[in-house]
Amino acid sequence: MGRSVKIVVFEPSLIIRSGVLAVLRRLPSLDIQIEEIADAAQLPSSLRWHKPDILIVNPSVTARLSIPQLKAEAEQLRIVALLNSLADEEAMKSYDETITVYDTADRIAEKIMRLTDSKHNRDNTTNALSAREKEIVVGVVKGLTNKQIADSLFISTHTVITHRRNIAAKLQIHSAAGLTIYAIVNKLVEFDEISSLINRGEE
Amino acid sequence: MHKLGRYKESDRMSDLINDNYRTLSVLSRFNIPLGFEDREIGEVCRMNGVDTATFLAVVNILVDEEESCDGKYDFSLEAMIGYLHSSHDYFLDFRLPSIRTELTEALRKSRDDISQVIIRFFDDYCAEVRRHMEYEEQNVFPYVRGLIAGRRASEYNIDIFRKKHDQVEAKLAELKNIIIKYYPGNSTNELNAVLFDIFSCEQDLASHNRVEDALFVPAIVELEKNG
Repeated sequence: MGRSVKIVVFEPSLIIRSGVLAVLRRLPSLDIQIEEIADAAQLPSSLRWHKPDILIVNPSVTARLSIPQLKAEAEQLRIVALLNSLADEEAMKSYDETITVYDTADRIAEKIMRLTDSKHNRDNTTNALSAREKEIVVGVVKGLTNKQIADSLFISTHTVITHRRNIAAKLQIHSAAGLTIYAIVNKLVEFDEISSLINRGEE
Repeated sequence: MHKLGRYKESDRMSDLINDNYRTLSVLSRFNIPLGFEDREIGEVCRMNGVDTATFLAVVNILVDEEESCDGKYDFSLEAMIGYLHSSHDYFLDFRLPSIRTELTEALRKSRDDISQVIIRFFDDYCAEVRRHMEYEEQNVFPYVRGLIAGRRASEYNIDIFRKKHDQVEAKLAELKNIIIKYYPGNSTNELNAVLFDIFSCEQDLASHNRVEDALFVPAIVELEKNG
């Protein structure tokens, strides 16, 4: 699962805009939703409406719109200048990042990742289960209810539910049957402990 | 190359299949045999007693994920039910059993406990798909046939189905992800072949659901309104 990033691209040239869009859509491991705008007049309302994480703009056309003004339209908006020629470094300082038309796909992906990192670092945490989460998996696999798991571990049912949600998010496994396979593969339980449950349906 | 726009009666059947080999399964579900030479889609359909509008509605939605049918449901609901029915047969009696056979074979060299839990998961999944499809066969189709015949059922409407119609392919995707991410043994050709088939079956199930959600259900909503 890639993380989801919302990007608005404002560039009046159809050829350049289509090129930027084509590159963005093919960046690996990023789930990007893109809106394109060709007309400066639509920009403020589009930012208000879509609330993007990132705005990619051609700086020569935004000159009329100040960056603070644009940032006021959407919370935590990062603004990236899209350069197709040499630009004044000083003027570029007010942007969060610059992308040039000569950047490689990897370079662009890196820049976008960096811009969204602070917002998404929760997704970056390791997917390994904690010791407590493993205990919960074992409980689920043995067919215990949330209440029974809670009682055996001396925690609240609410905490068990939170753990289960985190486990599902980490492993991308949402069913008890799926967790059973995970538990067996990783030797969290012995097959003998659960075989009666597994074969239940056949009796 | 994908063709832009919808396929029409006057396009060649062989072009449709060559451009989108996944439409092969639509042929067999409509009972259209291969060997149609250079005949056009409309002609092949007529030769085999298939409603052309229904055939085109199904292949166009399968070929183009973005395709919406803009409120035109000019296909035959009776023919659509026939298609959905043989599509159910295909999954339950052919596709899923053949994946199970392959899976059992591929897991033969695996640790016994692992192969047992995986097969168990798959069997539970098949039972779930069967329940899902049997519900449609036993509740939805008879209701729609009644509507076509001009009978109104007071206790049922298609909204009930629309609300409970779940994505039956999600759990198959889960099995595939578990094998890809956590399967401990060596990767073998046999296992890869099953994964290929699971990927493609998952896609087929999603298309099948799309035909139901984007063509079948809206057409019934229309019928309920006008009937």
